[in-house]
Amino acid sequence: MSPPRSNADERLRRLLALVPWVAAHDGPTLAEVCSRFDCTERDLLADLDLLFVCGVHPFTPDTLIEVDVTDGRVWIRYADWFARPLRLTPAEGLALVAAGSALLSEPGTDPEGPLARGLAKLAAVLGVDPDEAVEIELGDAPAEVLAIMREAAAARRRVEVDYYSYGRDAWARRVIDPYRVFSAAGQWYVPAWCHRADGERLFRVDRMRNPVVLAQTFEPPAEEATAIVYHPRPDDPIVTLELAPEARWVVEQYPVESADERADALVVTLRVSEQAWLERLLLRLGPRARVIDGADGVAAAAAERVLARYSGSVTTT
Amino acid sequence: MNRLERLINLVAALLDADRPLSRHELTVLVPGYDANEQAARRAFERDKEALRSMGIPIAVELLDADDPNLGEGYRIPREQYELPDPGLAPDELAALHLAASTVRLEGMGGTEAIWKLGGSTGGGAATVAGAALEGNEHLAVLFGAVSERRTVRFHYRGAARTVDPYRLAYRNGFWYLAGFDHDKASERSYRLDRFESAPEAGEPKAFERPTGEAPSRPSHPWEMGEEEARDARVWIDAEQAPWAQAKLGADAVVERRPDGSVVVGMRVTNTDAFRSFVLGFLDHAEVLAPPDLRTAMITWLREVCGVGAAGAAQLRTPRKKSGGGG
Repeated sequence: MSPPRSNADERLRRLLALVPWVAAHDGPTLAEVCSRFDCTERDLLADLDLLFVCGVHPFTPDTLIEVDVTDGRVWIRYADWFARPLRLTPAEGLALVAAGSALLSEPGTDPEGPLARGLAKLAAVLGVDPDEAVEIELGDAPAEVLAIMREAAAARRRVEVDYYSYGRDAWARRVIDPYRVFSAAGQWYVPAWCHRADGERLFRVDRMRNPVVLAQTFEPPAEEATAIVYHPRPDDPIVTLELAPEARWVVEQYPVESADERADALVVTLRVSEQAWLERLLLRLGPRARVIDGADGVAAAAAERVLARYSGSVTTT
Repeated sequence: MNRLERLINLVAALLDADRPLSRHELTVLVPGYDANEQAARRAFERDKEALRSMGIPIAVELLDADDPNLGEGYRIPREQYELPDPGLAPDELAALHLAASTVRLEGMGGTEAIWKLGGSTGGGAATVAGAALEGNEHLAVLFGAVSERRTVRFHYRGAARTVDPYRLAYRNGFWYLAGFDHDKASERSYRLDRFESAPEAGEPKAFERPTGEAPSRPSHPWEMGEEEARDARVWIDAEQAPWAQAKLGADAVVERRPDGSVVVGMRVTNTDAFRSFVLGFLDHAEVLAPPDLRTAMITWLREVCGVGAAGAAQLRTPRKKSGGGG
């Protein structure tokens, strides 16, 4: 997205933020400066070494920045050009406003707490209304299920929960060890050990129901094996589809094995491990895709099952 | 001479200047530039780009306002360079830092932002839950346009758009821009990953933001279209009803049936997204109304069954083997 930064650029960014802060404080410790500005003491001392020969023409003592390192503390004086840090770039402003808004919209955040106050002050400097300018949804899982899973993960307690398998279109009661809760691509996920599958699985919180925290505790693994992104297994059956131009989003959204550009259409192959997943995909694609190989009759059978709903049975109940 | 040292001195010289300084003056006043004019020029241009890319505002002004023949020079206007002090209390900075380390916006410099506000405060370790927001190449320009009220122009769905940007929203893993579309004369939403050109921002303070009660915001994909709004009714069986309710909100439920199934109301301006959402339920859902959306769904499904041939004809490619689709 942005060009790679050279080492000098990175150090300059840090210095332009660090100098005003140190200058405004009376001799902070090197350790504190390092911790605030995410660097090692060695890097900091190297940069300070450079800084004290900086200034403006004619570089006489009165036009140089003064740097004093004594007893593990640092003072910076006569750096009036750098009295204030550089303005936030739009990207930096957005990163903070987005993060703050996201957490504020989570249930249980104090709407008048330090985050809300800090965000309001920051937004005022950026010229935006934090409630209006940015809106972030981390996921729409039920708040109470989310809260229970977070507590269980924090306390390392085992959980029993009804889980909807999207791939099989079926509910089942499972016992899981939830490692943690995170949001990605607008959904809340829990990587966990599943005692039913006897392996690590990635669960979506919005597909959980009736969680019960059990008495047993667990030890999370040092390293999780669960991949965040869905990866098909190599032995999953292959389906070949021909996609009309309006159906090309399939390539962006799912891992395809191959994509072959033809005259008027794109021919792709996908590995499919779950029947219901394929049914949904084919129904959504509808006439914009054609199965060339590997899933004979799947779409038609699924469409007929759904159409049976429209024969008038449910509308009159 | 160290390049970092040269860059610091260059920034100091540009901030110190009370008049624009020519490139030649700068390469002489700031140590570290080659005596060779060509080499100095290249190094200076590279430095200037490096400073601009980190957001340092380098103004280009006439060296002498009365004599354009003398050429242009550079300086950094302090009021554009300096971050106004937001006056954050320590607990407020800590809360923002915690937020930035919990919710990470891919590739957008949250760490540098915290440095500028006074640095990390050590609150980042106690994260309850992590969240990763995907980045998008247009975000920085659009957020700048939202905050400075610049009208933006871009191509979207085959048409040139002129939009007063009000808001950026992240939903279901996608970024949307909401704003007033000049040609459509109404508020619209656009998915950033579907922009067909990079947005170009105009001058600041180009429009006033709407005041008063904000209209109900579209938040679902089927509400983010340009079709005339229609109110759909969808029946969802007992098994999927709780999920649908969590997704759509309890307000969306217009009828609860004794068997646990529900009827939900959905406002549709994007039929494709509506159909995809309903089909995600497989045979756990049925479109009840309006009649044309119900009929469209039936037609769609019949085409998948192979009853209708219209869809297959659209592909216009030779059939190799009769499959389930088309």
